[in-house]
Amino acid sequence: MGIPVAQMAAVTKYVLKQRLIGRERYPLVLMLEPLFRCNLACTGCGKIQYPVSLLKKNLSVEDCLRASDECGAPVVSIAGGEPLLHPQITDIAHGLVSRGRFVYLCTNALLLERKLDSFQPSKYLSFSVHMDGPRAEHDLSVCREGVYDEAVKAIRAALARGFRVTTNTTLFEGVDPERMRRFFDDMMELGVEGMMVSPGYSYEKAPDQEHFLRRERSHRLFARMLGEPKRTWRFNQSPLFLQFLMGKRDFECTPWGNPTYNIFGWQRPCYLLQDGYAKTFRELMEDTDWSRYGRKSGNPRCQDCMVHCGFEPTAVRAAFDSPRAMGATFAAMVTGRL
Amino acid sequence: MTDPRLAELVEQAFDYRGYVTLRRTDGSALVGFVYDRGPSHVEVFDEAATTRIRVALADIAGIEFSGEDAARKSQDIWERRKGTLEPRDTPASGGWEQTRPVLLVTALDRELRIVARALGASAREGGVRARVAGGDFVGACVGIGGGARSAVERHEPRAVVSFGFAGGLDARLRPGDLVLSTGVQDEGGQRITAAQPLRATAAAALRGLGFFEGEIVCTTAVAATPDAKRTLAKDGALAVDMETEPVARAAGEAGLPWLALRAIVDAADSTLPPFAREAGNRGHLTHFVPAALKYAASGPRAVADLIRLARDARRAGAALEEALRRVAPALAAWGGSA
Repeated sequence: MGIPVAQMAAVTKYVLKQRLIGRERYPLVLMLEPLFRCNLACTGCGKIQYPVSLLKKNLSVEDCLRASDECGAPVVSIAGGEPLLHPQITDIAHGLVSRGRFVYLCTNALLLERKLDSFQPSKYLSFSVHMDGPRAEHDLSVCREGVYDEAVKAIRAALARGFRVTTNTTLFEGVDPERMRRFFDDMMELGVEGMMVSPGYSYEKAPDQEHFLRRERSHRLFARMLGEPKRTWRFNQSPLFLQFLMGKRDFECTPWGNPTYNIFGWQRPCYLLQDGYAKTFRELMEDTDWSRYGRKSGNPRCQDCMVHCGFEPTAVRAAFDSPRAMGATFAAMVTGRL
Repeated sequence: MTDPRLAELVEQAFDYRGYVTLRRTDGSALVGFVYDRGPSHVEVFDEAATTRIRVALADIAGIEFSGEDAARKSQDIWERRKGTLEPRDTPASGGWEQTRPVLLVTALDRELRIVARALGASAREGGVRARVAGGDFVGACVGIGGGARSAVERHEPRAVVSFGFAGGLDARLRPGDLVLSTGVQDEGGQRITAAQPLRATAAAALRGLGFFEGEIVCTTAVAATPDAKRTLAKDGALAVDMETEPVARAAGEAGLPWLALRAIVDAADSTLPPFAREAGNRGHLTHFVPAALKYAASGPRAVADLIRLARDARRAGAALEEALRRVAPALAAWGGSA
């Protein structure tokens, strides 16, 4: 598996502590959105549709670090928008790293090579490069020619300088499982530490509403794509989550698992839905009516969602729920089989 | 009990990705972005996206969807260019960077003139605009104690520099010595840390010139006597000024990196003459000259004080000018731009 031992140890320690103190709801990954502006306009993205004055806004370094302190999650995913457009992104990453957070800085990599000098390689910092598949599929997904090639070049440069690099891949209707398997080979040959895959969420505000995967289609796609996985593939994800994507396990969403903080505040209820904002993390956790979310709630916006921000936390929790699930997790990690 | 028609409008406004106009029952109007709502209020960002305003539903007579819907616009663009991609040579920044300047905030006209000389420009109407080594710079004289926030909002910079004179608190510092601030604390002890990568860039450019790095204390009254300076120096601060804290705060609120570059006029063991203790408006000559002449008339010792102060101010001015000459190209090339 592509998850570093130090990160696994930190997350394990954190989860065990939460269970020991009897905390029912706890976050695993803070989704930090320090800005909404982006240098791409991807077909399936519903995050950047705001008036220009809001797109120009940045969270301050202090806001970002305070959010991390409030939340306490051991992992922070810096998303957006394109985080490398934030004028203080290095300070934000540095501040989080110095707090011992495992930081995944999500980027389309267009600005990565020119910004590398301002970052320091660290076991706590990984560039999570957006790669939606092979060259043709990726460029089509991000609506710009040459982005795949730029990203590959930037990944090589980052790896050469000793940075950790992972990829994150969002999949939509029409993807070819065989081509995706070859894409996984390509990423491994490139030398990335691990890959993350997830079906896209059907954002209401995304321009393309036709190509979001429905649940059954997702299961079929992931079963074909991840069936008989190659031993060389490393996924930076819980094996139980990948099995869920393949339809081998049934999980319910943990909407509080990856809480989201941005210029509006703490987003209710999750990274994908915007039903309002809380002023503090505590208010988010205590005053949100969580029973309204997840597949069992009947909420139509949750029925087809299988995105990692809701189900990866469930998979991690599940691994601690029974020796059998823990065993399955370790077996998949050791053998690479899903 | 909320009018159902208004409740419906509020939901539509919350879902709308553009500005709306709230017509109040008192006849006034507010243009803003509705980012949240509660049972009896809406939360709004004003049109400049700088201020959050809570408006009671009882005060709202109607809502107009007056601004462009960014989500609709994004869908229209996508529909128009369906299947065609942005060309390979589209700027990596997506049009979000390059034109934003570095803002140099001064309190005194004299300091602004130093900015103009160092950047090879002329000061006009309280401002300086210059282009150095391909980077844009704006100098703004905002007076003592305030005005930094409106300068940041007006110029939309990518970084902010607090630039000008300071008083020495550390006995090692003599008139003309430069201080590059690691942070600033206000009189209540609240600290704001300067942006590390930006500071490192400036420090590298100043190498060979001789400068001190440390904290600045920002006060609301002139620290004129050795006793007053000793009190302020107790936490190890190097220098004192009256401008850096509002500059740092305004930058932080806008999510921008900042630094302070100051030059010492009065050392820790010196006493400022009484006329220099009054924080006149931007240090206009019309304010200072009559006061200085009046002071000089009080005796030979006052004349000596004036000569010494003028000499020290010249030294500090020359140091600032040389420092900015060296730092400006480095700031222009600084990779942390938005």
